[in-house]
Formats: sequence, structure tokens, C-alpha cells
Amino acid sequence: MDCERVREVIFLYADNELEEEVCLAIREHLVICPHCARRIAYTTKVLTIVRKRCTRALAPESLRQRILTGLPHRGGGGR
Amino acid sequence: MAKTDSKQQRGWDFEAAAMPFVDALYNTAYRMTRNTEDAEDLVQETYFKAYRYYDKFQEGTNFKAWLFKILKNTFINNYRKRQKAPPQSDFAEIEGAFESQLSEEVTRQMKSPEEEVLEHVLDEDVQRALDILPPDYRMAVILADLEGFSYKEIAEILELPVGTVMSRLYRGRKLMEAAMLEYAREHGYLRSGEPAKMRSRNEGKRAASEPKS
Repeated sequence: MDCERVREVIFLYADNELEEEVCLAIREHLVICPHCARRIAYTTKVLTIVRKRCTRALAPESLRQRILTGLPHRGGGGR
Repeated sequence: MAKTDSKQQRGWDFEAAAMPFVDALYNTAYRMTRNTEDAEDLVQETYFKAYRYYDKFQEGTNFKAWLFKILKNTFINNYRKRQKAPPQSDFAEIEGAFESQLSEEVTRQMKSPEEEVLEHVLDEDVQRALDILPPDYRMAVILADLEGFSYKEIAEILELPVGTVMSRLYRGRKLMEAAMLEYAREHGYLRSGEPAKMRSRNEGKRAASEPKS
């Protein structure tokens, strides 16, 4: 595991898409490489901001009702 | 007789399975269409299609992903062309100015200028940054970061190879990062006299190329 490889897979790592043995190799590398540790901390920060601070629009209740009443088993015609 | 009963039952089954996802589907629809009217129509159409094709759904497979795939296809077929113009933003300029800021600066300093700027990102900056993404990248980021789908699930929803999903995610997130930094900068949270190491808009300019998938 080297810095180049860490850079390549950084999003996969942050997304938990890497096999455990690769994660282990990365974690070992991070212990001895503050540069990569910094990189990963930054990437994680960016992703956390996107995930936690992008507000979710909620469906209006009227939409929910419209969907329900339109379903055939509730007597609606569907589309 | 039995047929009608089981049809009714399937209807109730569908409702129980599908209605919990209204908010998630609506949020995605709204992010993709950028207006509430189209978002509502898109979601409604998605549910009616899903209902009609419910017997095609394979029990035990990922129902949420199946719904999102229907949403995606309905969006592409009916709504993609009708999208309102994105908010004014010089996209290529943002990309040029802050390209790939996992730069050496991040690694050399205890706290990089970018990390400091990130502290001052507002919620509205995050929405704006998502909003300016090209639809293909936006969809990938929504599925991964707002809905928590795995790469494999996203590949299934978008009907694309995992490699393409990864590349769209990579580019979408990089662009979001650059945009958020730019907006936070607009709030004036860089110290006056930009740090020399951070490339200015003009220095970083390069020929804009069309984002590829």
C-alpha cells in the first residue's frame, strides 16, 4: 500500500466499498503516513457535509394522498 | 373470485411496501427536476408504473432500488428535457480554479486553507453545489450520499457498469467540493489576501472540457 494507491481508492475507502484486507493495509499505511491520514480526514469531512447537510425535501401530504387514492385496489384508475 | 382477491391483496402488499419511500423518491425527483410540480408528477407516475409492473418485481431483491430505477427511467423519458436551466454558475471556471484539491497543500499543512474554508460552508451552499451538477453526476451523488445505496445498487438503478458509477461519483463529488469552497469563499471566509498556495480563479483557468461519464 502506497500513497498513490490510497489516492486512487480514497472514495471507495470512504464509501466502505473495499475488501477488509485492503482497508487493513490502508489503516496500517495511515499510521505511518500523516499525509494520507490528512487526505482521508479531509475527504471524510467533505462527504459528511454533503450527507448530513443536504436537506431532504419532504413529499407534501397531498401527493401522498393523490398516490394512494389513485391506486386500483383503493378504487382509483391508476394511469 | 380468487383472482380478484389476490389482486386486491397484491395492491395492499404494494402499498405497504412502496409508500414508505415517498419522501426519498420525492426528494430525488425534486433534486433532479428542480421544481415541485414536476417532482410531484414524476413521483406519482413512478408509483403508478411500479404498481402496474409489481408482478414483475422479484421477491427478495432490492425493492427500493427497483423503485428508484423506475423513477430514473421515467425521469429520463419524460422530464429530463424539461429541466429548467441550472442556476447561473460558471461551472468550468469553478472546476478550473479548484481542481482536485486533494492537493499537496492539504497534506503539507496542519490545517489547509480548504479545510478552514469548509468550516464556513452553509447548508444552502451544499444545496447549491448539488444543484449545479450535471444530471448524470447529480443522480449518482444523490443515490450514494443522500440515499445510501452501494455502488452495486447504484449500478443496478442506473443500468451502468460499476466503473462508470465510480467515475460519476468521483467527478460529482469533486465538483461539489469545488463549488462549496467557492460559495464559502463568497461569504468572505478566506482571510483577505488569499493564501498564496491557493490557486486563484484566473491562475487555475484552463480549457473547459465537457464532463465525460
